[in-house]
Amino acid sequence: MIKLIEKIEGEARLNYSFKDNLIDFVEIDFFTTRGIEKILENRAILDALVINPRVCGICGHAQLIATVKALEDCYDNIEISKKAEIVRELTLNFEIIQNHFKWFYLTIMPLMGYKDYLLKASFPSQLMSKAIASIAGQYPHTSYAIVGGIVCDIGMMELVKVESYIDETLKFFEENLVEADGEEFLECNNSNKLLSKDGDLPKVLNKIKNSNLIDFGKSYDRFIVFGKNSYFNSGKSNKTRLYKTIDIDRVEEFDNNKSFAKNVMYKDKYYEVGPLARAMINKTPLIKDAHRRYGDSIISRILARVCEILQLLNHSKKLLKEINLNELSYIKPKIDISQISSSGVGVVEASRGSLIHKVNIEKGLIKKYDIITPTQWNLANGTRDNLGVAQNAIIGLDSTELAEIVFKSFDVCSVCTTH
Amino acid sequence: MRSKKLKVLWLTGIACNGNAHSFLNYPYLAQFMDRFEFLYHPIIESKYTLVDIINQDLECDILLIEGAISIEYKKDTTSIYDIIQKYSSKAQKIVTVGTCASFGGIFRDSGYLGASGLHFDRDIELDDFKNIKSKTISISGCPIHPEVLVNTLYSIREDIKIALDKFLRPKEFFAYTVHNGCTRNEYFEYKIDNHNFGEREGCMFYEHGCQAPYTHGSCNKILWNEVNSKTRVGLQCMGCSEPSFPKSNLFNTKKNMGIPEELPLGVGKRTYLTLAGITKAFNIKRLETRLFND
Amino acid sequence: MSINRASKKEKRKEQIMQGALELFASKGFYSTTIPDIALSLKMSVGNMYNYFKSKDILAEEILKFISAYLGKELQKINEKDISTQEKTREIVDIYFEVAMSKPEMIDYFLRVYLSNREIFRDGCAGMICVNEFVTEIMIYFEEGVRAGELRDQDFFSAFGLFMGYLGGMVFLKGEHILPKELDEYVDDISFNIYKALSI
Repeated sequence: MIKLIEKIEGEARLNYSFKDNLIDFVEIDFFTTRGIEKILENRAILDALVINPRVCGICGHAQLIATVKALEDCYDNIEISKKAEIVRELTLNFEIIQNHFKWFYLTIMPLMGYKDYLLKASFPSQLMSKAIASIAGQYPHTSYAIVGGIVCDIGMMELVKVESYIDETLKFFEENLVEADGEEFLECNNSNKLLSKDGDLPKVLNKIKNSNLIDFGKSYDRFIVFGKNSYFNSGKSNKTRLYKTIDIDRVEEFDNNKSFAKNVMYKDKYYEVGPLARAMINKTPLIKDAHRRYGDSIISRILARVCEILQLLNHSKKLLKEINLNELSYIKPKIDISQISSSGVGVVEASRGSLIHKVNIEKGLIKKYDIITPTQWNLANGTRDNLGVAQNAIIGLDSTELAEIVFKSFDVCSVCTTH
Repeated sequence: MRSKKLKVLWLTGIACNGNAHSFLNYPYLAQFMDRFEFLYHPIIESKYTLVDIINQDLECDILLIEGAISIEYKKDTTSIYDIIQKYSSKAQKIVTVGTCASFGGIFRDSGYLGASGLHFDRDIELDDFKNIKSKTISISGCPIHPEVLVNTLYSIREDIKIALDKFLRPKEFFAYTVHNGCTRNEYFEYKIDNHNFGEREGCMFYEHGCQAPYTHGSCNKILWNEVNSKTRVGLQCMGCSEPSFPKSNLFNTKKNMGIPEELPLGVGKRTYLTLAGITKAFNIKRLETRLFND
Repeated sequence: MSINRASKKEKRKEQIMQGALELFASKGFYSTTIPDIALSLKMSVGNMYNYFKSKDILAEEILKFISAYLGKELQKINEKDISTQEKTREIVDIYFEVAMSKPEMIDYFLRVYLSNREIFRDGCAGMICVNEFVTEIMIYFEEGVRAGELRDQDFFSAFGLFMGYLGGMVFLKGEHILPKELDEYVDDISFNIYKALSI
């Protein structure tokens, strides 16, 4: 039985096989592609900073930051000011936050039967877009991060402005998602306490609990995070065991003959990426508790995403204080990139998980560009013998409606997957 | 206010969804949703599913197309051409949302057969869909500016006649250049050509590929996210609202022996060079030094 | 002032500049005074000052006059539908022609303007007084590169090659070192310049 899954930044087809009224196998088919990697070939390398944000309308900023990191990795030695590093991290945080608000209010709420939350999605995501635009000119689709730093000079007024957007977003969170003090929420290590609070998050969590959805969505309970920064740690986990050392060279991308999207594995195994993975590697108390109670289920995924909003808002406030305004925003590289023949890798945590860009350049022209998006990890279309993460979570369910909920709990992005 | 909501179908072709997300940045969405309803939208909840749109024959007032189109490109199992044909004939207006839908944009090169905009392949007019051309408005931009799109839709709703340029773009927004309103204008006027990235001073036209003086758009007139623009922060205009987007080598100004190959819209080379020669002699200290980091 | 009177005044100004140019060439710029110029034109010194308030202003106006004159000649060439190679030849040709028929003009340009920059510091900063001439050279270069004939390079590296070469030849001629007339060098020099600047 084929079902079209819609409103996942595009569409995908799920082809289910049933056996004894249970889903016994499912194929995940992303049936379009946009050929971004081909479009990049033979272009001047800096053009990637303009083309790549157009991989995705909702996580284009992560594409930009991954691109600039890949290009800077082509240098043996390049100096980036701490100020530029922090600002890049800030704008990326803001993008992750706007994504999570949109996902919660436009995907999860309707799935749970709550309608008409457009304005609750747009209000905080507009604030975060304004925060990005204050620094980067516009959102979506800016190219403000360039090899050597950022194009803009950041002054006191930008910091003041950005902080006010963060505060307003925090206020929205506390008044709408969970009616509780943000600090209290973050320190909480008992996820069940949340259920007795007011707010849209407890409403959704209770609904999941009361609809007996609480056990669904479990997969391998294997997580991986590559994009280390000042907040996220890199590493992988298997159940509760944590491994800090991972090697990006062991990431393998390969075709599957059913879908345009390539599958991705780490050392021949599928891993889940995204906010739940980040919380597991970071050992966030609230999420660790949820994981102890509910495993890698829908509820843990939702909680991890919403919790990340608050974590990143608070962390961003801290980062703002760390900016030294006397530093340069941009340090011109000693060698112009048009002279360089080299290769580089850029890794960041995007809204949906680890995003990897790999580039080969020859005398400043792109010879090969490879993008591995987070959704390729979570939604790999594996075989019966080696199921992808989402496939594994879907198999055994008894209805396609339930399967769609589980599928969407991964925060699917079709455009990213079909770059 | 009229009580009837106009029925809008947002159809996505070969796209990144950037326009759909940019639309979500429109500041007064509640007002918008009082006036319009989405038959389908790629992100926002809608009355119908995409499968309904494809299989049924629904009433539709405005057809919005995002993304490049190709006869080969399918929504589920139906060519987007067929869906456009069905709904464009009944729609009162068609709006191409973004540069891909208007001219092909980045995804013109996506590999789909003949991928292009609805009426234009870059700046070449196409024969397909010619019969609906009189109903079409192009809102170019990568992405669209939400206010430009929404204000155009409001004008359609109020039956206001919209003057269009030769690429069907509303003159109200596209008769200007992106240069108009840029806070770096003084550096351009006086030909101060020492722009460095990372600084609030300087103009990106001379070295860093800024296309604002010859790109049609209102980016510096109607600010992005209500607060800013790319050129204001020091990022060059990439010409994203033009049929030629994306050109190549976007971070460099193409010059011939030091003279920019593309000059401000409508300015002759001889007059430009004469003016440049004169302004070069001004030696304006205020513009040649940092504004306040001394 | 009626148009007729205005153009009459312009004409008189040109005559004064022409007279001054000739005196500068024969007596030298510094040893030529305003009364000298007035005398050579059979004008009263007072009347002279109605046209030019000082010798420095006269010097500037002459420079602009020469630049405009050469600029107009070059514009005619630039507007022709011919190859950059042919334009190169025509520019060299016209430059030498002016150097032969109005030697005082080129002489002024080389000996007065380029060697007495302090006189021109206030009113002629940068290249403002030779704008018309330089603009046409720029257009010649720009169009040459655009047509794929000339190699793209820094403007001044090309400008220096072109003007330095021509100026040098005129200088040698002025010093009576050149064995042949200037126009006999047009073929070789335009060939050399084109070869040096082309792709």
